[in-house]
Amino acid sequence: MATSTPPAPRTAPGPAATASRPAAPRRRRWSVGSVALYTVATLAALLWFVPLLWAFATSVKTEGDTTVMPPTWLTENPTFEAYQLVLGRGDILRWTVNSLITTVIVTVLTLILCVLAAYGFSRFDFRGRPGLFALVVGGILIPPQTLIVPQFVLMTQLGLVDTYWGVALPQVVAPVFVFILKRFFDAIPRDYEDAARLDGAGPLRVLWSVILPLSRPILTAVGIFTFIGAWNNFLWPFIVTNDPEMMTLPVGLGTAVGQYGIQYAQVMASAVLGAIPLLVVFLLFQKHIVTGVAGAGIKG
Amino acid sequence: MRRASGAVHAPPPAPAGPGRRAFVTGALATAGLAAAGCAPPDTLISGDTRLRQWNLFAGGDGNRMIEMHDAYQAEHPGIDFRATTFTWGAPFYTKVAMGAAGGRGADIATVHVSRLESLAPGRLLDPIDPALLAEFGIDDTVVLPNIWEKCFFDGQLYAIPIDTHVLIQYINLDVCRQAGVLDADDRLVEVSGVDGYFDLLREIQGVTGGYGLSMDTWNPWSNFWALYRQQDGELVLGGDDFEMDEDKALAAMDVMYRLSEEGLAPRHSRDADTAANIANGHAGLMIHGNWEIPTLEAAGIEFSAAQFPAVFGNHRTRGDSHCYVFPHQRDRDPERTRAAAEYAAWMLHNSLTWAGGGHIPAYQPVVESAEYDALHPQSEYREAAENVQFEPEAWFSGSAGRLQEEAAGALTTLHQGTQTPEESLDQLKGTIRGLLSVPSPV
Amino acid sequence: MTQNTRAPAPRPAPGPATTAPPGLVDVRRRPTDWTGLWFVLPFLAFYALFLLWPAVVGFGYSFTDRSLAGGDVSFVGLDNWSETLTDPAMYDSLWNTLWFTVLSVPLMVLLALGLALLTDHARRLGWFLRLSFFAPFVLPVTVMTLIWGWMYNPSLGLFNGMLGRFGIEGPEWLFSEDTAMFSVVIATAWWQVGFNYLLYLAAMQSIPKDVYEAAAIDGAGAWQRNGRITLPLLARTTALIAVLQLIGSLRVFEQIYLMTSGGPNFATRTVIQYIYDSGFVGLRIGLASSMAYVFMVLIIAASIAQFRLFSRKEG
Repeated sequence: MATSTPPAPRTAPGPAATASRPAAPRRRRWSVGSVALYTVATLAALLWFVPLLWAFATSVKTEGDTTVMPPTWLTENPTFEAYQLVLGRGDILRWTVNSLITTVIVTVLTLILCVLAAYGFSRFDFRGRPGLFALVVGGILIPPQTLIVPQFVLMTQLGLVDTYWGVALPQVVAPVFVFILKRFFDAIPRDYEDAARLDGAGPLRVLWSVILPLSRPILTAVGIFTFIGAWNNFLWPFIVTNDPEMMTLPVGLGTAVGQYGIQYAQVMASAVLGAIPLLVVFLLFQKHIVTGVAGAGIKG
Repeated sequence: MRRASGAVHAPPPAPAGPGRRAFVTGALATAGLAAAGCAPPDTLISGDTRLRQWNLFAGGDGNRMIEMHDAYQAEHPGIDFRATTFTWGAPFYTKVAMGAAGGRGADIATVHVSRLESLAPGRLLDPIDPALLAEFGIDDTVVLPNIWEKCFFDGQLYAIPIDTHVLIQYINLDVCRQAGVLDADDRLVEVSGVDGYFDLLREIQGVTGGYGLSMDTWNPWSNFWALYRQQDGELVLGGDDFEMDEDKALAAMDVMYRLSEEGLAPRHSRDADTAANIANGHAGLMIHGNWEIPTLEAAGIEFSAAQFPAVFGNHRTRGDSHCYVFPHQRDRDPERTRAAAEYAAWMLHNSLTWAGGGHIPAYQPVVESAEYDALHPQSEYREAAENVQFEPEAWFSGSAGRLQEEAAGALTTLHQGTQTPEESLDQLKGTIRGLLSVPSPV
Repeated sequence: MTQNTRAPAPRPAPGPATTAPPGLVDVRRRPTDWTGLWFVLPFLAFYALFLLWPAVVGFGYSFTDRSLAGGDVSFVGLDNWSETLTDPAMYDSLWNTLWFTVLSVPLMVLLALGLALLTDHARRLGWFLRLSFFAPFVLPVTVMTLIWGWMYNPSLGLFNGMLGRFGIEGPEWLFSEDTAMFSVVIATAWWQVGFNYLLYLAAMQSIPKDVYEAAAIDGAGAWQRNGRITLPLLARTTALIAVLQLIGSLRVFEQIYLMTSGGPNFATRTVIQYIYDSGFVGLRIGLASSMAYVFMVLIIAASIAQFRLFSRKEG
């Protein structure tokens, strides 16, 4: 697993490196150039960590210490009081649960709908297929951000404002994944399916036992990106939830923190808590995420 | 395996680690449990009456409200009560309107009575049954008539007022004592007229070396409205035209222009700057909302307060009223409606605490009580509730409304000295004309 | 997107073989076979209800005075459209959106390229570098804006605090019309550059080793290798990244809304926010719909133009 990959020089440089660069023996001597290179690289990486470190450094200060100028990195009295206060309010936990519920609904439904559609488009001929597929591909061009107004009106008519389904359902329409999955399925040779079909398997059975096992990597990539996208989606959940108890984590943190006022330690503690779930997911699935980006070039 | 990982097709799938699988299973289980019902899991379990309150109080008044809510909850263990504070202004009103449009928003919300029309009473707001309210002791006999009238729309009651809040004048006692402008009771000597007031400010300026008066130059509409109304200035908004007393508007604008031009008030002052200027002695007086009392108390200075200065011969002031409304619900639950009405009445009955934040309670028995009399400086300006001047009713008027926001563009320039009163008036008229040309959304 | 046509196929991709593959024989016994449609239908139902239907009714709303507050709806002809097209604030928000795009696209392409080159050369740190450059990408936008808003705080923030140590009075960052947009762009680059970075990195690491070895024999140094081999081979990737970034940047809303609410004085209000302001803050569904349509058409046109340009380069 990615987390256990040691940054040791001799192992393959990591998931994104394709097999084209196997563990070729490398030079062991450090030239001036490479020392400079590694110094710059390390500094850049550390610079990239500054915002997160600063958030953490602020979050373990007392409120009084956060406003001391000039700011200091290390506080003399580190405390987790801000975390206790933020967690004690319960909001963050509730928003995290809401995010988890809606994100799982979105991910599961997206995978099911897109796989079925891609399989249908890839393996069957039916009247209207080219037209329907063109319609789906055309949908990739429509920016969903421009549909917020009529989508919200639709939700008021369906009675789904301030519900989990209202948050989740409009997010499951991902034509780009139908397109990507269809291309992947197209490239799987038909011969693989023949054996199953001779055994009398119907189309669903073929999909389940032949196509899907061959598609694990792309399904993982689509699943992870749907998950990250839905978890971090702000605009739609922001539109469709008003009740703070129904908000997702990004929306809740952005909308209902009025009560924290200007208590920066608490604000940063909630930012750190809000960052944790997906950082954990990222560390667990780093390999899949990295290959997923590399392989598919998917971006909302 | 690691080396081949770059090839996305690798047919034998990598065995998922137990951690990951457990994670996914757990996530699925949670979602499955919760998605069954639309409500958050824990509210399904509780048998208490659910009551959700939304408000926009984040400052000193917010702290008073939290104090009152703690007491309310202690007295009402059978009510599952929860209050949420949204960012003041447009973000709050947008959430109230969208929540009401969706029909699952708050049970009760605190809004400005001046915003009633913009919240489409009858569609986004549900009417309140006066009989239900009377059961809990709230009717027209316990609230000032000028406020109570504002709570009706098309003959139906839509709001329950908890306070009147107004612009008042704050007095830095140290500074003003040195300037010799206080009487024996630490009250400002009575001055009248523009010249008298300017002379007073000059005397104070002599002591501070900075300004005489601190005021918000960034949101000057309220100051303008008070000065305009002191002269009986009228603003009549018609369908697509309006009438305004231009001479009176110019006189009010001239006061604002000269205050900054002559250095008696700052050219730029916004947000916390305004209170900071009187707290640190850069100014001896401040015109600001009564909600700044907790700020000055926290600053630890010796101060008092009075009604808005009688620049044009009377103490009329711009004001508004915080009131409770019932946002529209798809399925209005009588039990929760009843709880909401009882909550509003409880808050009115206990609004002495609310008065601590500077607001003048709407519930008259509190204002007339001995306890309120003892509140200082609140009792110094209680008559302001009768001198309050509301803005003309329109969908764009009122606190945090578009008129207030857009008029700031024209009026701020007076303080900055970049426009004369005549130019500013032209711009203001253009602003109002522009707002009238927008089709009303309600 | 081209990399995955290479990756998935266990053997050379058979191309669009869907027309008459042998495996379809038994499924197509009858002249009209609807099996495929059943598979496609669930997706299409969602697609129609949540994407197409709003797009269609939104167009209809744009000719009415429909309000979020409900009430009678009447037909107002082209009023909303003419208001949209003559509204200076609409053009201001279009300009702000474009300005954000102009600032962010080159920055996020070049920065990604630079970081990827660094990672590609400093291989021993590969895991660590990828982690640090990509991790911000998975942060929820609000976490990013809370942290950067705090660092940008003019009187108490990290940046002005650091500048203050050197006796420099820092700028107002998000609170000044002159600097707000730049501040937002910098924060956005930190947050989102990781995606472009990974695309570059993958492209670099798929350049065959023998290309470099040939160059090494010719005596090319590291810099020349970058200039003569790596960068030209990355042209297509660069085009792809630029297109994706451009389309993404034009749709900007959330980080700006959260950091500045479109201020100060509307200097950073983007089109999406103006649509939000008109439709939800101002309750005017009809007007917001015509604005959304104008913007949707612009974005689709820009996307098509970009993809055309891109595919011509490819051919």
